[in-house]
Amino acid sequence: MTKQQANWSPYDFNGGTCVAVAGADYCVIAADTRMSTGYNILTRDYSKICKLADKSLLASSGFQADVRALQKNLEARHQIYQHQHNKQMSCPAMAQLLSNTLYYKRFFPYYAFNVLGGLDNEGKGCVFTYDAVGSYEKVGYSSQGSGSKLIMPFLDNQLKSPSPLLLPAQDAVTPLSELEAIDLVKTAFASATERDIYTGDKLEIVVLNREGIRREYMELRKD
Amino acid sequence: MSIFEYNGSALVAMVGKNCFAIAADRRLGVQLQTIATDFQRIYKMHDRLFIGLSGLATDAQTLYQRLVFRHKLYQLREERDMKPETFANLVSAILYEKRFGPYFCQPVIAGLSDEDKPFICTMDSIGAKELAKDFVVAGTASESLYGACEAMYKPDLEPEELFETISQALLASVDRDCLSGWGGHVYLVTPTEIKERILKGRMD
Repeated sequence: MTKQQANWSPYDFNGGTCVAVAGADYCVIAADTRMSTGYNILTRDYSKICKLADKSLLASSGFQADVRALQKNLEARHQIYQHQHNKQMSCPAMAQLLSNTLYYKRFFPYYAFNVLGGLDNEGKGCVFTYDAVGSYEKVGYSSQGSGSKLIMPFLDNQLKSPSPLLLPAQDAVTPLSELEAIDLVKTAFASATERDIYTGDKLEIVVLNREGIRREYMELRKD
Repeated sequence: MSIFEYNGSALVAMVGKNCFAIAADRRLGVQLQTIATDFQRIYKMHDRLFIGLSGLATDAQTLYQRLVFRHKLYQLREERDMKPETFANLVSAILYEKRFGPYFCQPVIAGLSDEDKPFICTMDSIGAKELAKDFVVAGTASESLYGACEAMYKPDLEPEELFETISQALLASVDRDCLSGWGGHVYLVTPTEIKERILKGRMD
């Protein structure tokens, strides 16, 4: 009898790109709505952005089954938090919770690349960017997922951020207005869609500000 | 790790209005260790024809020597310079000669034709040509360069605008790539002159 071997992976990669930009009094979180596997498109209309709390939005690419498991876990933890504290979790607290949740599965990770955007307790925009096992950093803008290598240098160029090593620590929020930030995100995605096969179909933009949450969509290339 | 990433490189060429620009980073490294910060990877074949060679530096230099040799033979026999299209065919043929033991280089060729029409093209290591109307990129920072160029490039730029665009695209891209950077080298070629500029960049 010929030798057999296990040839099954618990992971898949569904592609997708996420971007978040923090401003003085707003936060823009965006992701495309394509979900792929290999050269196939599973759906052109899949939202990668999840509302975790009133002022925390999570955009995730990677393996969407893991992402959904992660979102469910965070939602459950947030429910418990609400019962115990009788209030919504703040964005920085959610950031720490997400990090702990990811690290809890350090040796069988959630295959998820996250950007968490929201407003902090002073109403300032904040963005947290993660790796798959929970290492995270507070930044002014970030991009994760299959098109991140294409988008990140463009964001660097347009939104030069102060070095995190500077003393005293500089504020990372971008100087742009809300509308300028939305336009920038649209340009970045239009460019990434040209060259990344896993990014496309539609762009979902969620804007968080004093007034609340607003959603916009922009069509992207479908090829 | 791929042998194409052994030395690290970033290479880009762009077309403007009756002009072109070709730019590269200046780092020569051995994996993560930086050996030199004044390395040349763009070579001038004649006054309006340039070739940049990304990939393994030793193969790039050897390949360049062969190209100079072949180009000189052509000049002696034909008493004129090679057209960019002809030169691209020559590079492609020389690379394909080594189909099963290739030079680990990805060339970028940029030139002006006799009618001042810009020509840019890139190839893989075995000579499959890719002609582009707008821009071409190569090297370890190629993905970043694609993103930056796609967002910043506009057709029919005047020479000085083109210089600004290619420089911004290069510097933005190499800062997100560990294996390339340490400043940049830009050639801006118009029908009347060649401008060569050294860019200062992050030294980390």
